[in-house]
Amino acid sequence: LRCQHSTPLRALQASAALRRVSDEHKKEPLTSPSQQQFDPHPDGHQPEQEPQGLRPSYTGQGGQESEDCESEEQLQHRILTAALEFVPEHGWTAEAIAEGAKTLGLSVAAAGMFHSDGSELILHFVSECNAKLSELLEQEQKRVQLGEAEKKPTDEFLRDAVEARLRMLIPYIEKWPQALSILLLPRNIPSSLSLLTSMIDDIWHYAGDQSTDFNWYTRRAVLTGIYNTTELVMLQDSSPDFEDTWRFLENRVADAMTMSNTASQVQSTGEAVVQGLMGAAVTVSN
Amino acid sequence: VYQVFESVAKKYDVMNDSMTLGIHRIWKDILIHKMNPSPGTLLLDVAGGTGDIAFRFINYVRSARERQLQRKLKHHQNLSWQQIFESYQKDKCNSLGDSQVVVCDINREMLKVGKQKAQHLGYSEGLSWVLGNAEELPFDDDKFDVYTIAFGIRNVTRIDLALQEAYRVLKPGGRFLCLEFSHVSNPVLSRLYDLYSFQVIPVLGEVIAGDWKSYQYLVESIRRFPPQEELKEMIEDAGFFKVDYENLNFGIVAIHSGFKL
Repeated sequence: LRCQHSTPLRALQASAALRRVSDEHKKEPLTSPSQQQFDPHPDGHQPEQEPQGLRPSYTGQGGQESEDCESEEQLQHRILTAALEFVPEHGWTAEAIAEGAKTLGLSVAAAGMFHSDGSELILHFVSECNAKLSELLEQEQKRVQLGEAEKKPTDEFLRDAVEARLRMLIPYIEKWPQALSILLLPRNIPSSLSLLTSMIDDIWHYAGDQSTDFNWYTRRAVLTGIYNTTELVMLQDSSPDFEDTWRFLENRVADAMTMSNTASQVQSTGEAVVQGLMGAAVTVSN
Repeated sequence: VYQVFESVAKKYDVMNDSMTLGIHRIWKDILIHKMNPSPGTLLLDVAGGTGDIAFRFINYVRSARERQLQRKLKHHQNLSWQQIFESYQKDKCNSLGDSQVVVCDINREMLKVGKQKAQHLGYSEGLSWVLGNAEELPFDDDKFDVYTIAFGIRNVTRIDLALQEAYRVLKPGGRFLCLEFSHVSNPVLSRLYDLYSFQVIPVLGEVIAGDWKSYQYLVESIRRFPPQEELKEMIEDAGFFKVDYENLNFGIVAIHSGFKL
């Protein structure tokens, strides 16, 4: 793996030394013969061969990873982030990933590290968006705590959070239907579902426990419903700056609020009815 | 090894078909599918003598390129006719999208058969034929996007050297793919496979190619070849990352893949 700071040769030797130290207790017999093979080789015209000979075996099972170079995962992350730029043109495909790898100076074959249908790219994008949303909400909360901003009422908070999150889709909106269909593949459902629920939980966490009418599951379900339906409306919206979508969102959130009020009213009415019946029963028995 | 393949060269394809009952074509198709090459990929096919992998690569890239061009045309809906015509001309001349495959083999006879096949099947552009030894490739560093070796690595005397050469000539991000006979773990199948290998194959070799000894050698070299996990470790030793293998037909054949990162 490339270490971008030091010269490649010294970095390889340094990382080889580090790896050797950390890997010393593993695969001892395997490293020594490979070292012996390279000693008689002339140093001059093939400098690349020497550090490779010294490099001990890499334990692929997520074992030791070198401390000074980036890990495979980080590299994969970088490739996927670079690939997002090519999504509007190529869609959520291995081709976009290949173009992304090219911009990082890697061969297009590096796209072979990922699934050919672009699943990882989409999941990466979704998790990045969720992270950005969390950051936004965190900053807003800080501002409220410092007194720089007013605390929003629940419906406005929910509306703004969902709008902010959906706006992140705008640059990719043309190819988003394709992405949604891939996220619904059985293979991807566990990951995509967990990303969705953690995002919804996040929004509720920052919204604070303002409405005690809902219990936790209802709250989650309601907001997930609002988010998914608004997302679908957005895909078919051709109004300027998606104003139809935001209006739809406003109505849905208002509905949810009314529903909660109605639910609490029903509950208190129910209690009143039960009390009345009890009173009647007592009266009758007397 | 050289003499084995000299005598085998002309009948190589026929023998492949009869030995594997034609399944080798599917294995090679799966290899190219796994590679999923995009137009513009530079492939080095080592020990690729008669060109099977190379031809499949060209077909795949050609259809990928067609799809790419179609998508581009859809994108350019609002260009003038003149512009469309010009870009169409330019792209038409570039039907492979700058993809290229270099077929390298240690044996001149195998390369000759490959070149004849290419001519016969009509493959002209994007192909090069180079004489070379897998343990010491005549190429510069960091040149190729993908390195494949299909049913060739078991014939290399020093596998570790071949793997190191593969690492050397690959670009950063490049992929190493190896298609080879491997070990069958299922005991029932293993016994059937052994029976077939030792009884049937040399006989076929004698009948079709008139050469019992070469095919006896073939079957023995398959048995001597390291199993999947061991080959995976050897590939990791050469410096490849994300090394993985996929068994085809319960382990009769395995595809190993690694990346130079």
